[in-house]
Amino acid sequence: MKKIFSVLGLLFISGAVAVAQHIDYDEYTLDNGLHVILQQDNSAPVVTTAVMYHVGAKDENPERTGFAHFFEHLLFEGTENIARGQWDKIMAANGGTGNANTTDDRTYYYETFPSNNLELALWMESERMFHPVINQIGVDTQREVVKEEKRARMDNAPYGRLWEVIKSNLFTKHPYRWAPIGSMEHLNAATLDEFKEFFKNFYMPSNAVLVIAGDFDKEQTKKWVNEYFGSIPSISRPEKTKYVEDPITTQINATAEDPNIQLPMLLNAYRTPSMKERDARVLDMISSILSDGKSSRLYKRLVDKDKLALEAASFNLSEEDYSAYIIYAIPMTGKTLAEVQTVIDEEIAKVCTELISEREFQKIQNQYENSAVSQNATSEGIAHNLASYYLLYGDTKLINTEIDIYRSITREEIRSVAQKYLQPNQRVVIDYVPQK
Amino acid sequence: MKRIIYIALAFVLTSSLQAQVDRSVQPKPGPAPVVNIGKPQEFELPNGLKVLVVENHKLPRVTFTLALDNKPNVEGDIKGVDDLTSSMMGNGTSAISKDDFNEQLDFYGSSVRFSVNNIGGSSLSKYFPQTLSLAAKGALDPLFTQEELDSERAKLLDALKADEKSTKAIANRVRSVLIYGKNHPSGEYLSEESINKVTLDNIKSYYKTYFVPEKAYLVIVGDITFADAKKLVTESFSSWAKAPSPVSQYTEPVNLVKTEIDFVDVPNAVQSEISVNNVVNLKMTDPDYFAAMLANYILGGSSDSYLFMNLREGHGWTYGSYSNLSGGKYTSDFRAYAAVRNAVTDSAVVEMLNEVKRIRTEVPTEDALRLAKAKFIGSFVMNAEKPQTIASFALREKTQSLPADFYENYIKNIEAVTLEQVQAAARKHVTNEAARIVIAGKASDVLPGLEKIGLPINYFDKYGNPVEKPQAKEVSADVSVKSILEKYIKAIGGEVVLKEIKSLMVTSKAQIQGQELTLVKKETADGKSSQNITMMGMTVLKSVYDGKTGYAEIQGQRKDMTEDDLAELKYSAVFPELLMTNSNSIQLAGIESINNSDAYKLVDGDISFYYDVNTGLKVAEAVKKEVSEGQSIDQIGYYSDYREISGVKIPYKSTLNVGVEVELNVVDIKINEGVSDADFQ
Repeated sequence: MKKIFSVLGLLFISGAVAVAQHIDYDEYTLDNGLHVILQQDNSAPVVTTAVMYHVGAKDENPERTGFAHFFEHLLFEGTENIARGQWDKIMAANGGTGNANTTDDRTYYYETFPSNNLELALWMESERMFHPVINQIGVDTQREVVKEEKRARMDNAPYGRLWEVIKSNLFTKHPYRWAPIGSMEHLNAATLDEFKEFFKNFYMPSNAVLVIAGDFDKEQTKKWVNEYFGSIPSISRPEKTKYVEDPITTQINATAEDPNIQLPMLLNAYRTPSMKERDARVLDMISSILSDGKSSRLYKRLVDKDKLALEAASFNLSEEDYSAYIIYAIPMTGKTLAEVQTVIDEEIAKVCTELISEREFQKIQNQYENSAVSQNATSEGIAHNLASYYLLYGDTKLINTEIDIYRSITREEIRSVAQKYLQPNQRVVIDYVPQK
Repeated sequence: MKRIIYIALAFVLTSSLQAQVDRSVQPKPGPAPVVNIGKPQEFELPNGLKVLVVENHKLPRVTFTLALDNKPNVEGDIKGVDDLTSSMMGNGTSAISKDDFNEQLDFYGSSVRFSVNNIGGSSLSKYFPQTLSLAAKGALDPLFTQEELDSERAKLLDALKADEKSTKAIANRVRSVLIYGKNHPSGEYLSEESINKVTLDNIKSYYKTYFVPEKAYLVIVGDITFADAKKLVTESFSSWAKAPSPVSQYTEPVNLVKTEIDFVDVPNAVQSEISVNNVVNLKMTDPDYFAAMLANYILGGSSDSYLFMNLREGHGWTYGSYSNLSGGKYTSDFRAYAAVRNAVTDSAVVEMLNEVKRIRTEVPTEDALRLAKAKFIGSFVMNAEKPQTIASFALREKTQSLPADFYENYIKNIEAVTLEQVQAAARKHVTNEAARIVIAGKASDVLPGLEKIGLPINYFDKYGNPVEKPQAKEVSADVSVKSILEKYIKAIGGEVVLKEIKSLMVTSKAQIQGQELTLVKKETADGKSSQNITMMGMTVLKSVYDGKTGYAEIQGQRKDMTEDDLAELKYSAVFPELLMTNSNSIQLAGIESINNSDAYKLVDGDISFYYDVNTGLKVAEAVKKEVSEGQSIDQIGYYSDYREISGVKIPYKSTLNVGVEVELNVVDIKINEGVSDADFQ
């Protein structure tokens, strides 16, 4: 099922991060407002340099959706000192790898190098923050690339519209109602000045966090950070607008069509609280009970035992302002969406009314602990988690303390949180069907 | 005022600080780092199991690998016994049922995979004792049952079947057979016959012979002390009975003397699979090991390499062309390879040989070597932090007899390689002068061009047995589209009889992945048709064509037919040949082999029909489908088992490949009944 949810694309499941080992780090803020986190681990000569900007699809003008993601592409085009087309070559020739991604909440750039190329990475990221070249040629090129990306990942991919469909049904006021890929019409209509304006509005040091994780010398690194980033002018960062949705009190039914699929999919989506809330983490655990591993409830029932579905899973997609709890299943050939819905309803009702068994509870704890360890197993994982905890959760310490929150969740809490958020009248039910 | 001065001062200070860095200059890398690779502590059990423990307490988890370094062995007439034994391990023990075994591993959040030569897994350190103990039980006391064998055998046969017509699979098999010979572990191949021959006794005895501790290495990496590891391993693995590593004997291959082409005719191929090969004896301890690795990278290791730049970027003949070369204690092979469209097969062979020659005769540029080194070093450094890498390094040091500082000096040794050494290594390990070029492709399209290259060509069947050169079949002068169609019409009953048939309703059944599928097909003489597929009593697909337009309904979702869909239905009728005799857009495209018999091929646009040269019966139909930009494949369906009913011969069996082979068998035929206009609405 990973496959289908890679097409949900451009959105990370970063809420379920927990840590089982203690991670030491230093953090400080430059005069221009850039927050810096250094996480030294000299056990392997590898270092990840990452910058997370607090700008995502939710900061876009509703008439110009897709800008945040478009920017992620544009900022690989070159800078005043890095010629167009050279970015990837410089990286490869120095043994590095890197990439970027955009969600509703933030845009994230990172590269991992052997540790003797840390200065190079800092130079590259500071160039990007300081003075990227935003010109017509780059905009025209990347507009075509983004269109290809949309074709490949959404228009042409089975179940590629899932995310867009869920969001447009779950949100009416909040900018979460559109997907990060945005509208191609909007991108076509945008002028070069608008792109330059977007950069000016969001890409300032005070709206970003720089994380360096891995093998480095602290003093040398602080010096480099100061040299390369300190000279970037300080501009005050934009105010975030707060959007509040009215609660869903009656089930919303919707149908969406996809020309690329043969088998329909059933989707249930619930609007749940911000990633920062304790309840969001309880919902993470509920999703594990329902669909983590072959002995999980939905999988066992729908796929293994009753053979109603080819695939079935659920997860809590945690974001800054709201999260979305999603359940999906693809009925087996010959089985109906209604049959599958009945079983899902039964299983959800069980979580809402009955305590999970002690053994199941212990299994979930074990699984959480295991995945928490893996999440921080590499410098790339650590860099991403530190950036998210600082920028989105507002608490860098969570890299060490979040696992305690998960550990403190009780069986009773699981039941009451399920009861609170997973009622039929709070959900959107989407029949995602082959296009006629 | 004072304040402004402070700010100004701060500004000056900062700018003077920053004056040290010149942004217009790309920073140079620092000195190449030394990778800190964990070094194992070791002990050995009396049964011969060697245990390497790499303590690494960074993360609270433990990873283990049990690797058997037995010499590769020939499986012979029960080839497949290794695959089957492997897939049957880890499914319970004599004391623990399969379900309980899996549930327990799940509970600890652990994962373990099993095979005869390698077992590995990982878990949280606190559950490592339970995980290793379960893994050991699964390994030392596997539950081998006939039921499990039957189910694993069915899966293996299915996998083999899925590849039966794959040009790539055929090319790979023949390549291995020709390089190594059929009686070599790398040359023998799976067949339906050999898989079916494997008995439960074979499995048990194979396991007993090959799953032995003499050359077994257990590598444990992670958050565990040596003392604890020793205690756990001793508890879990001491019962493993001491037994010697099995003796294995076979003849190693040698290189050709002069370059030749070995050709396999794959009549359905739309792309030729080309490989330029030679035998390689390169050990990781050889002084030119790194130079050889870099040479291969420059030739075909990436999208900047010679092969890719020429065949894909320069000519656009292929999606990608690469090369492989590796070092190890056993004989291996080098290959440069590409899949190219039929028309450019000969040109591609020439260019691939040119590039192999180039890496041998031209000193690469400084830039190319620098990039290659950066890639190797970068990926080495980047992976060194993973426990699995540490484990595989430690293991390789043992099994490949590497010096203890092999990986410590890895970066240094790569950086020391010179341009001349790269060229010398290429000359030693890669050849364009004694290369075995293996090509699987469509003879009628590609042979004329290949012959012009001037290299000797040998011919083989799809199992690597020598055969005569495939002869292009000449269509004799008195055969025409018309005569073929007339012969067919006559063969199945004659025009008079056929014209009596106004409608036909055929019910067929097929088995797909253990489920029964029923197809009801209705057709009328005036070109209407409908198909209805049901599984377990539910309609899963329905398509209707009323002679002009149509639609398909998949699971109740209706979709109108497109122009392309309709074009495929051009000759929709009970006996389309009655219409085709009046068409002038049909061409006779020669003779092709269909299931080893010659058949005439008639083509109209994207549709093809095949008629047996001897019997005149229609043996296949094909539709060209575009699979990706500029690439298309023929989707082909075969007809056989013609039986006479009411004076007409109708095929009772049709076979098509939709990823898996589907065989439809007719169970009922109704002529001039059971069909009404309502069926086509």
